[in-house]
Amino acid sequence: MTAPVVTRTHAPDAVDAAAPWGSGARSLVGSVWPAIVVAVVGLVAWELIVTVFQIQKFLVPKPSAVAIAFVENFSEIMDGLRKTGYVAVTGLVAGVVIAVVMALLCTRFRPLATALTPLAAALAATPIVALAPVFFKWFGQVEPTAKQAVVAVVVLFPVFVSTSKGLLQVQPVHLELMRTYAAGGWRVLREVRVPNALPYFFTSLKVAASLSVIAAIVAEYFGGEQGTLGGIITQSAGLSRYDRAWAAVIAAALLGMALYALVLLLEHLVLRNTTPPATAR
Amino acid sequence: MTSPAISITAVGKVFNPGRKGEVTALTGIDLDVAQGELVSLIGPSGCGKSTLLRLVGDLETPSAGSVEVNGKPARQARLDHDYGMAFQQAGLFDWRTVAANVELPLELLGWDSGRRRERSRELLELVHLDDFAGHRPWELSGGMQQRVAIARALAMRPGILLMDEPFGALDEMTREHMQSELVRIQAETGATVVFVTHSIPEAVFLSDRVVVMSPRPGRIAEVIDVDLGERGEPTRADARFFAAVTSVRSALRGSGASAAPGLEVGVE
Repeated sequence: MTAPVVTRTHAPDAVDAAAPWGSGARSLVGSVWPAIVVAVVGLVAWELIVTVFQIQKFLVPKPSAVAIAFVENFSEIMDGLRKTGYVAVTGLVAGVVIAVVMALLCTRFRPLATALTPLAAALAATPIVALAPVFFKWFGQVEPTAKQAVVAVVVLFPVFVSTSKGLLQVQPVHLELMRTYAAGGWRVLREVRVPNALPYFFTSLKVAASLSVIAAIVAEYFGGEQGTLGGIITQSAGLSRYDRAWAAVIAAALLGMALYALVLLLEHLVLRNTTPPATAR
Repeated sequence: MTSPAISITAVGKVFNPGRKGEVTALTGIDLDVAQGELVSLIGPSGCGKSTLLRLVGDLETPSAGSVEVNGKPARQARLDHDYGMAFQQAGLFDWRTVAANVELPLELLGWDSGRRRERSRELLELVHLDDFAGHRPWELSGGMQQRVAIARALAMRPGILLMDEPFGALDEMTREHMQSELVRIQAETGATVVFVTHSIPEAVFLSDRVVVMSPRPGRIAEVIDVDLGERGEPTRADARFFAAVTSVRSALRGSGASAAPGLEVGVE
């Protein structure tokens, strides 16, 4: 354990509460500037290469052209962002809730795990490309249900697998202690398994947050309402407006990053006091 | 003399009976532990000393014979919270503060938070950790964590403490300190203690009786009475202490146990 030995006199809580943010903010600034430098250099190089070699703009548009397209189509892209964001977030929440409930039930009633785990694995192996048109047939083109279902199915598996692992991989000594207390199965679940699973859950939630945006956009390629980010991308590509397609792709990336950041914040709020600093991230 | 706190009669334990890998861990164990007595179980790895303790705690069930705790079957005693247990790993919950760790068994009993807090304060004072109630387990040293585990084992005011090599992972200095602490706590609470250890000086320093066990199959080789009077730091330099250490050592050798306990692989 590499927990720093702080000479604690009084108000250790204040020290603990301040440290993660303080060091976090410092390390954030420290770790972000190399990425910014690389990004800026990359964009300049991209712009120069496209200009100097006169690359056709339908192959690779200039970053400046993408930026201009972003500004020119701002309200349309924002509208798409809102629609796609709604599908991604609601689908994500639905998938995560189902996954967590499944994991809890499987842990509590072991025979269920033997029945549900292969099923979840089969779902994960199913390509979403094959599912999306089927879901549109089931739920119709007008409502966002089909797309939400695609997102939910995609995020379900990683969350289910990770959360189950966290619920099951508890220290044997903890289980024996609970046995000496004559604690029942639900108490063990609540006091030992669920707190133990939280870090695993958040790790999978980070993966799921990014996946949800990807899944929503791929589903949008197959149909549904107009004006979503996926819709803008396919429509723009069809009209050879590649700068606009790229602008929508960038909006989608921003959405994915925003969701990821939201999960990071949530994880920090929930785990800051319950996990040793070394294993918290 | 009142009825014994723990009564073990003709107990045997076979793991994987009738299957590949069948191991006879214990055979023909008879042992009574009196109220308020401190008894150590010592022997090489594979002698079944931990298994014997786990039978008392109803973490395993005997294949033969009976284990009674406070005059009840071991299972009933566990359900009645008649004992508290401490393991080699402190086994504290990282997601709880030190005080909340101590209070966990009381929460399970349905004590309200006021009574719980009062009791955990009392227990943390007993193990001299009252300044650390609000800390997280990972902020504590190994010895401090083990003291929290002992406080937690005492939370329900059990008459009996079962300890499975609780100081095994600690360095020698901390270990001796913890031994003195345990002697003090035992004197203050009057608890009956069964203590599993690999260490001869530890067994002698702590115990009223040292139960020497031998392996394959695990059985009791000899029971040695230790009379050191009031224990304290001078005890460790006392001639009677060395005499008892010598007799436990020769009992371990005479029992066919290895002179270097811990080198043998087997059921623990």
